[in-house]
Amino acid sequence: MHELKSQDGGAESAEVSAAAAPVTLGRAIVITSGKGGVGKTTTTANLGTALAQRGARVALIDADVGLRNLDILLGLESRITFHLLDVLEEKATLDDALVADKHSPSLFLLAAAQTREKDEVDTERMRALVERLRERFDYVLIDCPAGIEMGFRNAVVGADEAIVVCTPEVSAVRDVDRVVGLLGNRFQPQLIVNRLRPQLVKKGKMLSVEDVNSILHLPLLGVIADEPEIVVTTNRGEPIALQREGRTASAYRAIAARIAGEDVPAPTVEFKETFLSRIGSLFGGSR
Amino acid sequence: MSARKIVITSGKGGVGKTTTTANLGAALAMRGRRVILIDADIGLRNLDLVLGLEKRIVFDLVEVADGRCQLRQALIKDKRFESLSVLPAAQTRDKDAITAEQFASIVAQAAEQSDYVFIDCPAGIETGFRNAIAGADEAIVVTTPEVSAIRDADRVIGKASERRMPVRLIVNRIRPEMVRTGDMLSVDDVCEVLSAELLGVVPDDEEIIDTTNRGEPIVLDQSNRLRGVYDKIARRLEGELVPFSTFDNQSLLGRLFGALKAG
Repeated sequence: MHELKSQDGGAESAEVSAAAAPVTLGRAIVITSGKGGVGKTTTTANLGTALAQRGARVALIDADVGLRNLDILLGLESRITFHLLDVLEEKATLDDALVADKHSPSLFLLAAAQTREKDEVDTERMRALVERLRERFDYVLIDCPAGIEMGFRNAVVGADEAIVVCTPEVSAVRDVDRVVGLLGNRFQPQLIVNRLRPQLVKKGKMLSVEDVNSILHLPLLGVIADEPEIVVTTNRGEPIALQREGRTASAYRAIAARIAGEDVPAPTVEFKETFLSRIGSLFGGSR
Repeated sequence: MSARKIVITSGKGGVGKTTTTANLGAALAMRGRRVILIDADIGLRNLDLVLGLEKRIVFDLVEVADGRCQLRQALIKDKRFESLSVLPAAQTRDKDAITAEQFASIVAQAAEQSDYVFIDCPAGIETGFRNAIAGADEAIVVTTPEVSAIRDADRVIGKASERRMPVRLIVNRIRPEMVRTGDMLSVDDVCEVLSAELLGVVPDDEEIIDTTNRGEPIVLDQSNRLRGVYDKIARRLEGELVPFSTFDNQSLLGRLFGALKAG
């Protein structure tokens, strides 16, 4: 429903035509986890891509000032001229700072500053910036830094929904549980379980999705299997969600559809034993 | 003589700081060294979980800083090792519940009664990071062979160098078959970008997830190859010249895909 007004893509510019009468605000969703390295940035890049591929206008904000990475995952690192702090400090306009994605015409990135500190971000200005973006985009996805310090607080301040990313590890579950507590009641957090290895779950060597959610008790938005391909696509700067085939790409598309309000069947990850994994396990290999 | 005070840091989260801290600490304790591990991740502590000590926490770092207990009261002895103790972080406080000076003074106090103090740094480069490096005189930077992790490591190495702190590098979670196929950066690639001295290379091992969940450092597993890997890193820290050997992946697959530089 949020996407109805943008089915034509908004391909040329992120600009909403001035004539567009009462502005429907887009949704601002923070992607967070507490623990680092569980896949927040990968999730942001792929959900942004999947939503944009559905025709929605999407802005991604990298809130990890000082340790930005979202630009790398999208392959946009050499196209950045201005960053988040330039906009907050009115040294650049939003239009100057938004970088158009190479692959999805309705996807834009607002990069973080790399050589600045998180406590240089003015919380109130950050809130106002997200508000402005919501007037122009159907979705504003905010890639939250690890931890629960100032960077976390600035990342959540403008959001009205949260997606928490968790890997099937006790340490990640504990950190997510803490973050859900800190988020309070405002964000209706939904859960993505990331990097599940079905073979390990089957062997009883990894927590299952049910195990994770027996502690967190959150609405399950999706499950993404661990895939070496993710590392490859990350290093290459091409989100895996761009691929037409493959279970990871379709898992991200299903999550995007669920976010958009479509009734998509509950996520499952099937155990697909490949020839290689069978050989590997026979010989006690590391796969 | 006072202990060596080493912060284990990375910038990016989830690259294996806590796992490295636990296993390196355990490896040195197994070599008879007195080791104290300090979890600096206030609010998101995990070192206690990785060592399976979460049910034995009575006092924490912030309580020591506030003078509500003695350091020795807050230290949890890991009974599987003669000489390994952990100072847990507070779980329901913020990073600014402690100052850099307080942190440094606790590290100094810990150093008086041990050979090694390892500080498990939180992700990021905010207050938690500044506290964690405040008391250290050496840094171990952990990175994985991913562009994003390397960029963050580079930023942290810069910050450590500003303080004239010697930095050594552990490249974690190398997957030899992916390096071989050109899908993953090699150790040489990583070292070249970061131009830091290499301390160790740890291959990706799925057992780590399980041992972490169970609270048993993988160095306790006699049959796991990572035991030897962490022992080598421990010996290098002790000043021994341990060559970076090329060793096979021990499986048919590994041999098919070629040898792995590790150790």
